[in-house]
Amino acid sequence: MTDSETTETVLDIRGLTKSFGSNVVLDGVSLKVGKAQTVCLLGPSGSGKSTLLRCVNWLEKPDQGSVYLSGRRIGVREGGHMAMSNAELARERARIGMVFQHFNLWPHLSVIQNIVEAPIHVQRRAKDEVMAEAEILLDRVGLAAKKDDFPSRLSGGQKQRVGIARALAMKPELLLFDEPTSALDPELVGEVVAVMKKLAEGGSTMLVVTHEMSFARETADEVILMDGGRIVETGAPGAFFKNPKTERARQFLQRYVS
Amino acid sequence: MTWNAFLSLLDGAGLTLLISGAGILIGVPLGFALALIRWARVPVLAPIAAVYVSLLRSTPAVTLCLLIFFAVPTLGIEIGAWTAGILTLALVTAAFNSEIWRAGLLNFPADQLEAARAFGMPAGLRLRRIIFPQLWRVSLPGLVNEATLLIKASPAIAVIGVAEITRAATRIGAQTYEPLPPMLAATGLYVAIILVLVGLQRFVEKRYGRIGAQA
Repeated sequence: MTDSETTETVLDIRGLTKSFGSNVVLDGVSLKVGKAQTVCLLGPSGSGKSTLLRCVNWLEKPDQGSVYLSGRRIGVREGGHMAMSNAELARERARIGMVFQHFNLWPHLSVIQNIVEAPIHVQRRAKDEVMAEAEILLDRVGLAAKKDDFPSRLSGGQKQRVGIARALAMKPELLLFDEPTSALDPELVGEVVAVMKKLAEGGSTMLVVTHEMSFARETADEVILMDGGRIVETGAPGAFFKNPKTERARQFLQRYVS
Repeated sequence: MTWNAFLSLLDGAGLTLLISGAGILIGVPLGFALALIRWARVPVLAPIAAVYVSLLRSTPAVTLCLLIFFAVPTLGIEIGAWTAGILTLALVTAAFNSEIWRAGLLNFPADQLEAARAFGMPAGLRLRRIIFPQLWRVSLPGLVNEATLLIKASPAIAVIGVAEITRAATRIGAQTYEPLPPMLAATGLYVAIILVLVGLQRFVEKRYGRIGAQA
């Protein structure tokens, strides 16, 4: 990270390891995301990117290592080695917004209900205030007219934009994107990427797992290439895409960037 | 068949409705509790619930009814025929209902629950706000089907002297030596009750719609 001294660190991952049975998925991963930065995680499938993301908000419990969000450790109580209770963990997760590959919207709730569900019932904020904010968010992702529709009526790109608005409604300190465009028809990718770019430029702190190289090249402050559960190369997008330092990065770019 | 005989048949219908209705009202939530315990793999309780469901599913209602009516008093608890009847039907239908609820829980989309967890919803909130509003709609047809089966199995409680429809009809037939008219009337009453129940299901489905359907 080039300017880690000048920007405040939002996410600090230290030495994370995770295995499923004998399969080592994360093998000592450390990285930082500074405030208002966008960091893109690249890598072939099975390289551990998604697992890393899911370890950040403890959807997957890491075997070793630690995750700090704005200086506070996630998943483990202050000072000690005591694991957080489910209720404590839920509170910490509410500080992190997540956008999923398959949108994961709640089909029995309308678009606006999807957005206000957690702010009202988890964060216990006033309904009027949350509803007003949700309308502004929907406007920002270009879906103001769809607020009373149900998810089944939306296209993939519209669903994902609702997913992004839903994450933003939590006013999260950090946004996690887990391959947000991978399940979309090619012609729908653009509308989602456009929203994500606007967020990055608007000062959101984002950790993005993606195969969308143009997004990484144009928007990321930093690009991280993972392979086999390790970080292979880290760099500014300009340098990474033009002059990769490692042979592995060169191979990867040859395959993924046409 | 006299008018008075018909009235006693209607009394029987009232009793069938009361006892089956009470059994269903207790059995549906009890079944849900059993399903939740097994689905959430609650230590100690989950295997007990599994054994309970297996046992109750394999015990005939008549046998269970006699067992409750004669065994409970030996524990020093007085039990009337109606109470024993309600208890029998509730315990039996709870076992079947729990399998209906559990199927819905096991088929519930994992990605929705993952999103709920990621957004900081604790287990109780996930159940109340995300799972249940969808689960009951999915489970309703199965639950109503089980309720119709239960109503038709309710003559089992006649063995302990509860004068529900079938017992009332048998009695009239024995008195008049004409079993056909009361049995036909009894059949008509069962059909009417089941039709109302299924009609109620249709109404609820229409009124509350399918999951995610446009309001």
